[in-house]
Amino acid sequence: MPLQVEDIQGILLYGYGQLRHACFLLLGIIDGDAAKAWLGTLDIRNADFKPDEIHRCVNIAFTSAGLRRLGLSDEMVDEFSTEFREGMAGTEHRQRILGDTGESSPDKWRWGGPRNAEPHVLLMLYGRDEATLSVLLSEQRLRLASFGLQLIEQLDTSWLLHDKEHFGFRDGVSQTGIEGVHTRTSRGNTIPAGEFVLGYPNAYGQYTQRPLVSRDQDPGELLPQAPDDQRRHDLGMNGSYLVFRQLSQDVATFWQYCDEKTRRRDGAPNPEGRVRLASKMVGRWPSGTPLVRSPEKDDPAFTSDNEFLYYGSGDAHGLKCPIGAHIRRTNPRDSLEPDPGSDRSIEVGKRHRIIRRGRVYGTPVANSMEVTDIVAAGDVAGERGLHFLCFNTHIGRQFEFIQRTWVNNPGFDGLYDDDDPLIGDRGSGHGKTGGTFTIQADPIRTRVTGMPRFVQVRGAAYFFLPGLRALRFLVSVGR
Amino acid sequence: MPHQEALTVISRIKPGQVQTVKGILGTIADHGDGWEIVPFAKLPNVHFARFVVFDATADLDGNPIPAQLALMTNVDAPLDAHLRDLATTCGSGLDTVFEHCEHYPDPAGRTPAARQSFLRQHHTAASAFYVNRQGRTVQQILREEQLRRAINDHLDSVDFFGQSAEMVRGRIVAFVAGRTDLRWALYPPKQPSLMWRITEVVNLIGYALLAIVLLPVLLLLSPALILLLRAHERQDIPDTSAAPAETVRRLREDEDYRVQNQVTAAGLFKPGWFRFLLAIAILRLTDYAVRHIYNRGSLSGLSSIHFARWVPLDGRRRLFFSSNYDGSLESYMDDFIDKAAWGLNAIFSSGDGFPQTCFLFCGGITDEKAYKRFLPTRQVQTSVWYSAYPHLTTKNVANNAAIRRGLSGHMNADETRTWLRRFGVGNQLPESGLIARLLDRIRWDRLCRCR
Repeated sequence: MPLQVEDIQGILLYGYGQLRHACFLLLGIIDGDAAKAWLGTLDIRNADFKPDEIHRCVNIAFTSAGLRRLGLSDEMVDEFSTEFREGMAGTEHRQRILGDTGESSPDKWRWGGPRNAEPHVLLMLYGRDEATLSVLLSEQRLRLASFGLQLIEQLDTSWLLHDKEHFGFRDGVSQTGIEGVHTRTSRGNTIPAGEFVLGYPNAYGQYTQRPLVSRDQDPGELLPQAPDDQRRHDLGMNGSYLVFRQLSQDVATFWQYCDEKTRRRDGAPNPEGRVRLASKMVGRWPSGTPLVRSPEKDDPAFTSDNEFLYYGSGDAHGLKCPIGAHIRRTNPRDSLEPDPGSDRSIEVGKRHRIIRRGRVYGTPVANSMEVTDIVAAGDVAGERGLHFLCFNTHIGRQFEFIQRTWVNNPGFDGLYDDDDPLIGDRGSGHGKTGGTFTIQADPIRTRVTGMPRFVQVRGAAYFFLPGLRALRFLVSVGR
Repeated sequence: MPHQEALTVISRIKPGQVQTVKGILGTIADHGDGWEIVPFAKLPNVHFARFVVFDATADLDGNPIPAQLALMTNVDAPLDAHLRDLATTCGSGLDTVFEHCEHYPDPAGRTPAARQSFLRQHHTAASAFYVNRQGRTVQQILREEQLRRAINDHLDSVDFFGQSAEMVRGRIVAFVAGRTDLRWALYPPKQPSLMWRITEVVNLIGYALLAIVLLPVLLLLSPALILLLRAHERQDIPDTSAAPAETVRRLREDEDYRVQNQVTAAGLFKPGWFRFLLAIAILRLTDYAVRHIYNRGSLSGLSSIHFARWVPLDGRRRLFFSSNYDGSLESYMDDFIDKAAWGLNAIFSSGDGFPQTCFLFCGGITDEKAYKRFLPTRQVQTSVWYSAYPHLTTKNVANNAAIRRGLSGHMNADETRTWLRRFGVGNQLPESGLIARLLDRIRWDRLCRCR
């Protein structure tokens, strides 16, 4: 079934790489009817466009509280997934599996937590240049109050040189492809649309659970027929669940740690060793080159390379890219059971993928984004990090699974005390271990221990990104 | 070294005392680092233990089934010694819990002997019992972890740059030999008792012979049996109701404190003699398969289960399943779907309300949405749960054992390199046996064409 691109919001299928300036607004709905009138006026970008032709665009998503404010009945909200309805901060169990504890616990969040104003709407604004975005932003902000909307948080973004993130590594090299949309990704990296877009067959060849409504609930026939249920209309179709986490990065501590652990016997710093350790933690060199391709030194020939496996590329034992490295954990490719190195292993892995659409925020500690400059800059004031956004249709089997079973799991793939060196929760104080990073090597491994947590959560929420027809349905509900 | 056994003590709770028992037991989420009333940690042979309350319910004909309390343990043999330990070291705790159950000795008669006989009388043998790897005792598992930690800490303090694998191994062996508290590791662990091994071989051959004898009959009957099976499957009515959100949330709150988790689930058998006989046959086969075919740490690529058991309840009207495994319930369910669906379908499709199967092995669990909705409707809250090594995965346990074995005996250069890698990561499981490999090669999902 071809994707109905004209009904899908653009951000789900494309990252708007040409629109480098972005801003996220978290809004509270004070007056549901006024908010619906506002929704009717928005020009929401669909996924049917040529990248060169657009200069600015708007996309929108809602929390479950937001859907209720718009007048969706309890019965309809119950159709959405449990994870979405409970919310990212909804249960202690979820905090445990996501690692949202200690300094990252929802009590301490700036938004999305129990102590913060409840966000209802996420408005995503993109512009080709700063001026375009700032015009779009002020247009939007000016109208909020008159439509019964309250601005809870404005989250600005930045774009760092060489597409890097704040630690100094090129980010976004590995991007998941959607079958029928992204034709340039490799077979192992191309995933059935239903994993990211609701209403299409998923990686099991089945339809993921999603909100369906009876015909009576859709008297205007605004929604399409559900492909797997003759009697119901599909509120989920062409939509997706959006995971939003504001992740602050402690750049100084990260590089101090790598520096301390690689000093020479006489105490002198070892710049090469420092970068090597950090790269082992990431699984790529700062340029983006994967360690599987070039284990000993950075190689500018492979900075965009994503066409590799682990077993299939001669690294079954993690001698090139460590088993616990960030990119090997978050996308194990062919390295896990059943039968590592096989197509079956890759197929099973496809049931746990996400599509990332995040943006960096905060000023870089060094504009050049070169590691030597970042290290030299030391502890620079101000907060910086990543507005992590990703899409999936089954939050429990995709985003939360990755976080629990791969990122925060000290026993990942036969390890003992190692969580994700970059983004792990270091055991979250629940009796789990963590904070060790093992580098497999011949004749024998080395390891570093006592790693502090480098990334903290400052705010987070689960959103529903509706298709455009579903959005019109939301505007019409109860009217 | 002894083999491992499963104790399942099931007893009726006295009328009106279910809430009292639940109050005494509390919940896993309440217990934090331990539960004092029955101190399993004081029993050196207990791997896992749990208390579960099965609420009162009714069978398919509407006959009432009373509420029951179950105590389950996974222990090193002999079971008798474990019963003695329970009745003495944990005696007063058992009294506190079981005095609300029928037939428990009166206060005056609560001697260790009386408690033991109560436990023995209420013990039900499992229809099938899975052990990740037979023969590893609790003390062996704990000591081998201590050994690995000591060697790893030592390795951190030495620079092995440029040394050959043989030299590194030699230095590790020398380190262990130099530590009086670790020297035991230079000798391989003892095997399970000769008696037990003979029993296993007799079981292996006995059932194989029986299968050979029965095979012609089965082949002759197979067209009729398959037709009968399909006729029954077409009449099955899957339970499409969902568990209340509050129930699911309560179950989740007991999960994911450590790398290990637990699950207990119970269900009624489907009605009719055909389904019942099929269920009994499948459980027999399951027991055989996990004892003799899938006995090297991996069930068709599913390697995260430490212990699991299937036990009949209420005069074989119900069956319950309990398991101790690594990872989250979500990943466990995914493992079931992705790796071992065919076998689990065969077992669990005898349960009333199970997602639609076809030809016994297909469908069922592979319908992700239906399966993940169904499981919580049959899940039973485990009130108390104990693990002797909650921070160790099955792979950790297996890797530690391999590290210890590698300290003695001869190794060639390749073997030495492989062994040294075990200090970096322990993800290399022993290869499955021939029959397991053959079974694993079958693509069940492509074999059946249903509907």
